[in-house]
Amino acid sequence: MLELTLQAIYTGLLSGGFYALVAVGLALIFGTMKVINLAHGELVLLAAYVAYATESKLGLNPLLALPIAMAVVVSAALLTYFLTNHIKKDRELNSLILTFGLGIILTNSLLMVFSANIYSTSTEWFFEGVVIGDTLFSMRSELLAFVVGVLSLGGLYWWLNHTWHGRAIRAVSSNLDAAKLMGMNPKQAEMWSWGVAGILATLAGCMLYTTSVIHPPIGHGLTIKAFIITVLAGMGSIPGVLVGAFLIAIIESLTATFFQSSLSELASMGIFLVVLIVLPSGLFGNKRIH
Amino acid sequence: MLEVMNLSAGYGAMEVFWDLSLKFEGGKTTTIVGPNGAGKSTLLKTIMGLITPMSGDVLLRNESCLNAETWQRINEGLVLIPEGRLLFGDLSVEENLIMGAYPKNSRKSLENNKENVFNLFPRLKERRNQISSTLSGGEAQMLAIGRGLMEEPKICLIDEPSLGLSPVMTHEIFSIFRELKEDKLTIVLVEQNTNQALKIADHVYLMQAGRVALSEKRENIDLKKLEDFYFARN
Ligand SMILES: Nc1ncnc2c1ncn2[C@@H]1O[C@H](COP(=O)(O)OP(=O)(O)OP(=O)(O)O)[C@@H](O)[C@H]1O
Ligand SMILES: [Mg+2]
Repeated sequence: MLELTLQAIYTGLLSGGFYALVAVGLALIFGTMKVINLAHGELVLLAAYVAYATESKLGLNPLLALPIAMAVVVSAALLTYFLTNHIKKDRELNSLILTFGLGIILTNSLLMVFSANIYSTSTEWFFEGVVIGDTLFSMRSELLAFVVGVLSLGGLYWWLNHTWHGRAIRAVSSNLDAAKLMGMNPKQAEMWSWGVAGILATLAGCMLYTTSVIHPPIGHGLTIKAFIITVLAGMGSIPGVLVGAFLIAIIESLTATFFQSSLSELASMGIFLVVLIVLPSGLFGNKRIH
Repeated sequence: MLEVMNLSAGYGAMEVFWDLSLKFEGGKTTTIVGPNGAGKSTLLKTIMGLITPMSGDVLLRNESCLNAETWQRINEGLVLIPEGRLLFGDLSVEENLIMGAYPKNSRKSLENNKENVFNLFPRLKERRNQISSTLSGGEAQMLAIGRGLMEEPKICLIDEPSLGLSPVMTHEIFSIFRELKEDKLTIVLVEQNTNQALKIADHVYLMQAGRVALSEKRENIDLKKLEDFYFARN
């Protein structure tokens, strides 16, 4: 029983690192623009399909797809930014419609190009087991996704605090007029937040392909998960994203272990609602990009 | 150096001032006094590009800067130390100061300037890790001034710096402004504290209800008369 619980928590912890990687791009863009990119999950999925194509068509390790996937996904993210930027009125609201539509277009394009088939990696290295302390089991790819997720968030945190582009993103997220008075160009900060969100989505997509299976409709589910974690975190807080992602993932894993895996999403939704009732501004509420 | 010509601006459809013309000479200190709601802060925000004017022009070194974004004006050395708390409320005191070093020219002397600010305001040094939204009014004012100095202004617009400061602190910051003046900075100072403000001024404007009611060289101004003027139209 104890072993089972520990294993469930361990599995949840590992997927929490991956969830955080998926969610943080959404939080970053929300910070600078107060825009929720509803095509974010589709961008992650796009990267996963690039990884699939690299493996199946070129016969290469899917991780070698990173540079191409990054070029594709960052371009798509910047294109989304420029379209969002052209919204003249009520950007916060109208961008929801715009990005939701772009998500549908992306899903259907993937469907057209790659069909509705389910794909997963055929590189065996990824699903070999790793046992820690004789009891905790995972696939190599799950451990890799966790490490990549945590390192990426750490890197992002460093970048936001120690580079001028990063600082401008924090300043714009905190107080737009004050940021302008520091000589910051808000448009540039917004563009960087979309570009970096694209890079993070690419990493997430490649991890998605190596740990799990992909097919066109799952992009939408990823967006929802990212959105829930971002709200749970308290819109725009990066440590909050990490904590929120672990919370959701561990609850899901415990539910799947002790009840049914079909109930796990329901359980995480339940926690989400409870947190919002108790702490309306999220776990790390009222803080912006930290 | 800096000139405002026939400027009109406001919020939405409401005009705060009309056809306003003022001139700020290079290397000199110009003080703008006037009652609450006269439009002084609105004028400074319009000069910075935070508010788009309805008509008229703002000349920076004899060239219109209306097409320049706020951040481009900052890169020209135009800096506003805003009234009240236009701080990064969720960032610490020290982080707020670091943000002040964002303009390209001031980045390399970040550490130096930060030490200088901490020497000027030891209180900020004590509270360097405190989240700035929890500062007292006076401390927040010190932080806004310190952050503005981090930007290494050439033309410095200062909006009611003494607001919320004790008489001792007010005296201190005015001695800082006097030093800036000796360094040949162009200063535009909006102040309710006419006594202090007149002491360092070269030129004085009195603004009332969106208009310039008086424009005089400092030496031609009698504080008593100015106050009569001030109260007569209030
Ligand atoms: N954001 C705003 N939206 C609408 N009206 C505003 C706004 N800010 C200021 N006003 C109005 O514009 C007028 C001028 O305000 P402003 O702040 O420029 O005055 P001020 O001369 O700086 O006054 P004070 O000495 O009290 O700071 C006032 O009537 C004020 O109510
Ligand atoms: Mg004012």
